[in-house]
Amino acid sequence: MEQQYVEFKGIGKRFIGVRALHDVSFRANGGEVTALLGENGAGKSTLLKILSGAYTADEGVYEINGAEKHFATTQEAIADGVSIIYQERQLVKELTVAENIFMNMLPSNRLGVIDYAAANAEAQRIIDIFRLPIRSTDRVKELSVAHQQMVEIMKAVRRESNIIAFDEPTASLSETEINTLFSVIGHLRDEGKVILYVSHRLKELFQITDKIVVMKDGALVDTLKTSDASEKELIRLMVGRDIGDIFHHLDRAASFGGPVLEVRNISNDNISDISFTLHKGEVLGISGLVGAGRSEIVRAIFGADKLQRGEILIDGKPVKIGSPADAIRAGIGLCPEDRKDEGLVLENPIRTNISIATLGLVSKMGVIDTKMERDMSLKAIAAYNIKTHSAEKQVIELSGGNQQKVILGRWIGADLKVLILDEPTKGIDVGAKSEIYNMIIGLAKSGLGVIFISSELPEVLNICDNIIVVKEGRVSGTLAREDASEEKVLTLAM
Amino acid sequence: MGANTENTIEKNSRTNIGSIIRSNTVVMLFVLAGVIVIFTAINPSFLTTQNIINILNASVIIGLLSIGQTFLIIAGHIDLSCGSIAALSGAIMAYIMRETGIAWPTAFLLAFLFAVLVGIINAVLVNVFELQPFIATLAMMSVCKGATYLLCEGKAIQIADKAFLKISAISLAYIPLPVIIMVVMFLVFGFILARTVFGRMVYMIGGNVSAARLAGIKPKRVSTILYIISAGASAVAGALYCSRMFSALPGAASGAEFDAITAVVLGGVAFIGGKGNMAGCFVGLIIIQFFSNGLVLSNMDAFWQVIAKGLLLIAALVFDFVRRKRFESRL
Ligand SMILES: Nc1ncnc2c1ncn2[C@@H]1O[C@H](COP(=O)(O)OP(=O)(O)OP(=O)(O)O)[C@@H](O)[C@H]1O
Ligand SMILES: [Mg+2]
Repeated sequence: MEQQYVEFKGIGKRFIGVRALHDVSFRANGGEVTALLGENGAGKSTLLKILSGAYTADEGVYEINGAEKHFATTQEAIADGVSIIYQERQLVKELTVAENIFMNMLPSNRLGVIDYAAANAEAQRIIDIFRLPIRSTDRVKELSVAHQQMVEIMKAVRRESNIIAFDEPTASLSETEINTLFSVIGHLRDEGKVILYVSHRLKELFQITDKIVVMKDGALVDTLKTSDASEKELIRLMVGRDIGDIFHHLDRAASFGGPVLEVRNISNDNISDISFTLHKGEVLGISGLVGAGRSEIVRAIFGADKLQRGEILIDGKPVKIGSPADAIRAGIGLCPEDRKDEGLVLENPIRTNISIATLGLVSKMGVIDTKMERDMSLKAIAAYNIKTHSAEKQVIELSGGNQQKVILGRWIGADLKVLILDEPTKGIDVGAKSEIYNMIIGLAKSGLGVIFISSELPEVLNICDNIIVVKEGRVSGTLAREDASEEKVLTLAM
Repeated sequence: MGANTENTIEKNSRTNIGSIIRSNTVVMLFVLAGVIVIFTAINPSFLTTQNIINILNASVIIGLLSIGQTFLIIAGHIDLSCGSIAALSGAIMAYIMRETGIAWPTAFLLAFLFAVLVGIINAVLVNVFELQPFIATLAMMSVCKGATYLLCEGKAIQIADKAFLKISAISLAYIPLPVIIMVVMFLVFGFILARTVFGRMVYMIGGNVSAARLAGIKPKRVSTILYIISAGASAVAGALYCSRMFSALPGAASGAEFDAITAVVLGGVAFIGGKGNMAGCFVGLIIIQFFSNGLVLSNMDAFWQVIAKGLLLIAALVFDFVRRKRFESRL
């Protein structure tokens, strides 16, 4: 088989108020994994969307195996062997895994009757390649976020595409799943496919990629061989400055205050008998495999899921939390994990997504003060460095990482006692990550209790004062910062 | 990020050209202009002050119903029973007046409270029993319709209260009182929707109900209030209808929910929720009323008018769809 390749030549793309891409040229070869690296809003997803036919380029062309292509729709691109696994999942949650993997290509007999047995068997075969504990007949909505992500990947595998692009596929996966994913990507690469890979986790680039294309503000900065690159150099190229060791400069509180949140034996369908105490000034990590019940614990505390048993105390007094509204009134704030489904009202401006949880702060007698609301959103845009030309930009038009920053911005100005962050750095670039770490430590220092959930173990180990490890909905161990190590956490989690 | 960029972001956030371009109220104003031009060409008496006032007066019932629908549809709900709630509360009012002879304010209050009760039942069906709003209120529509016929025993209930009948006859500066009531209600509820915390909650639950809940909004509480607003506005519409007709009619306001929903969708309120505003709804209302009136003045057969209205709704929905598609394809 001849070598496959994709070549971008002088690609440019503008949106209202931004130049998303400018004169981007490079070549990605089959049999190699080519990484796209750059800050949030650098234009990585936009480039992939152009390749997939979702957007058309304003300038420049791209060629596949020497032939110029102009995909007008994603269907055309798919027919030509291009599959993109997007940052945001594109699944029909009510349908089964097999139906999603096949979509409109379900096998049928001559009368057009769908052959579900064949579809389920074939889907199961693909699932088994990935060695996943799911069945082809499961409904997607019942799967964990990570498994939903894997279904997305299996769709591309099923189509036997020659060009597969991954846009932050590991953002919601845990270590073991990432390893499975990498073995699948390695397998696809060895078959000679062109693989494009976007991730903010530098460590991964060294594990899986052969070549790294660095972008900044829509332009290509450099193309390097992974074997010649160093983490430090990559950061300098993408951020434009040296950010040093992001974990060592953290200026954490010397000691804790009294207990601010006490959780006593809370249980529901997903979790059992969870107890812990969070102090003022403490950053408490919750670690565990994806699906172990990390999000479920904080959802229960926040009133998003019903509690069946147990007690929650704030400042030593029992509080009854029946809904998120009650939790907020008690001084608890949550930044949810899933930005598309639970975090944001996508077809609304940044402004209303920032003020959504604290409307009381920007209104008088129930009437919203437009100026106060705008000022609040501008403050969040500046504090979190959200890349936008206006607070009125629709959130759906922001890059993934910048959407994530909007979720974090919603508690700006709120008077909280406890802040719960569920995967706050998902999809966030290295530079912005260190700013978020500083913000977390700063909030803790000012007397808040912070609960921090992340799939990235180094993050948890370095940010948190104490770590609770959960397994199958129960606490399997608690580690203090000094004693914690990757091995210890993983042993407790497995 | 330098102070300079921060200032530009602030300036851009103030002017906000994007939302003006995006809103289709402007487009609808052009459609309205088109409707006016065409019908004036067919019949010059279309564009006279008297005819315009007539049109506005005729739009009161549908206008009041469309206020509730605007809120509900933006929130991702709908109330198909609003027209029959108007008919039933009108009948209840007339019935009480006939049987007891009490003055209209008391009778209206009782009918209004009854309508509120029906609104609460709608909300319970949707929020507690988790029925689809479309199905729940469709059933309620049938119940209220049947109840109206029973109460009226199939005939009109005459109303004798002179003070009550005068309401629809009074004019202030040539503008009939019902029109003034409608405009005031549009302004008040338009303000609530656009500027208050409650109005914002309506948009947020319509845009993404899970996200709204996790941000501390109570979707069920908000939608319950909306069903009550819709039913309450329907009761007002029912009373005005009775005042105009000197009686309660068993078939009153039949199909009015259809016209109200057409007005709302024409006005740019997205059927899947989260988008739209009261001004758009008002423009939609005026378009549909001008349209029907124009058809009458053009001597079009009544049945053709029904077909034309259906086509108008289809056109509005297709327009809504095309707009969405265009928006999505940009992403
Ligand atoms: N549909 C759109 N309308 C307007 N602006 C857009 C649109 N899509 C993308 N943009 C803008 O283009 C720029 C590049 O966005 P893109 O999503 O490509 O970034 P990215 O490199 O993928 O970032 P991230 O790491 O956060 O995912 C951003 O400033 C974004 O706001
Ligand atoms: Mg992206």
